[in-house]
Amino acid sequence: MTRMMTGRARTTAARVAAPIGATAALLGTLTGCSTAAEAEVPVDASYRDGTYQANGTYESPNGSENIIVLIELENDIVTDVEITTNPNNPTTANYQGQFASGIGDLVIGEDIDQLDVTVVAGSSLTSNGFREAIAAIKADAVES
Amino acid sequence: MSSSTLLEPTAFEAIGAPWRIGVGGAATPTSSLGAPLSADDRAAVLARIEQFDRDWSRFRDDSLVARIAREPGSWSLPADAEPLLDLYERLHAATDARLSPLVGASLDRLGYDAAYRLLPAGDPLPAPRWQDSLALRRTPAGLVLDTAAPVLLDVGAAGKGYLVDLVGELLVQRGLPDTVVDASGDVRVRGERSIRVALENPFDPAKALGVVELRDQALCASATTRRAWGDGLHHIIDAITGRPVDAVVATWVVADSALVADGVATAMFLADPARLCAVFAVEWVRLLADGRLEASAGLRGELFA
Repeated sequence: MTRMMTGRARTTAARVAAPIGATAALLGTLTGCSTAAEAEVPVDASYRDGTYQANGTYESPNGSENIIVLIELENDIVTDVEITTNPNNPTTANYQGQFASGIGDLVIGEDIDQLDVTVVAGSSLTSNGFREAIAAIKADAVES
Repeated sequence: MSSSTLLEPTAFEAIGAPWRIGVGGAATPTSSLGAPLSADDRAAVLARIEQFDRDWSRFRDDSLVARIAREPGSWSLPADAEPLLDLYERLHAATDARLSPLVGASLDRLGYDAAYRLLPAGDPLPAPRWQDSLALRRTPAGLVLDTAAPVLLDVGAAGKGYLVDLVGELLVQRGLPDTVVDASGDVRVRGERSIRVALENPFDPAKALGVVELRDQALCASATTRRAWGDGLHHIIDAITGRPVDAVVATWVVADSALVADGVATAMFLADPARLCAVFAVEWVRLLADGRLEASAGLRGELFA
């Protein structure tokens, strides 16, 4: 099921829970953190359920900007992704806000299930890159 | 998929995306892509895609593109290269060099590399200038690419759309003139039938922002929410700055070929639609970062937003 990983940003407050030890590193490759991963990750590639958080920075035309990324894992499945922005610059704040609050709030459209269409053109069927990224992040957490 | 659909189209994964191919004529219901390919036709399609990937993929080290990235030289390009590189030349000119096949190193720098590192390796890297890096020679034996230094090509802006065209052409040659080829966001219908294509809300895949009717045409979608690996990090790069673009969130372009539709869908992030429409025969829709939805007047279909 890929629909849960479409990256639709949400505005709900982040729930950061246990497991404490592994939290910071899981998203290291995504956000630029270099914290070492918890060594307790079992060999059968089972990750403990919970919400994993990482802080990251990136360079924008306005200078260095901050984001916080949360991934929720349940039975080894990413069930939620949230990106919280922490901009240093009003222009960036404007753009980040538009992305993080979801343009879907402004431009919603109609239920595809209710339309008589042959093909859907968009992102839901092209999530392989994202799935591969998640796989890479998990592999990194195991190897570290 | 509707429960009344009797035949499921052919489906497979290739070049990092799910594909579906259906065979059907004017009597095929709108909700159906059509009937599956025969085993022979399916095998021929997969072989054609494999050949394209072996030539053009930036993600495998045995590809022609990987060899061009390792050493300079005079490279004999495959027979399918000319329409693709011709389109790139036109898009490069129409976007004032913002769309370029030379963004491979820029994407690598941002983390979108063959290893899916997904970690920026430094400041954004502007793409090398076309005239400093590449020269194309038309010879009796075909197109030859001369490079003075290793260059990392990326045909991501139009390559998948072009491959949709090539697969459809192959099926015409094999006696199947009525097909729909859908490579996840790049779709082309051939023959007598019309199809309806939903324009997916890039932030909510259960919602459509519009529906477009296609007949003997292609529609290609592009969105910064696809293949994004961090806030502000995605695969649509301005070659001048080496940075991902941020003013446009998603584009959809209708053209006679998926090659042109895909390339112009990328260019719509980087240039004014009016300027692109002066060069290319296309209809288009754009979703801007401020939430506005724009479309060309001649678009056949409807928008819901």
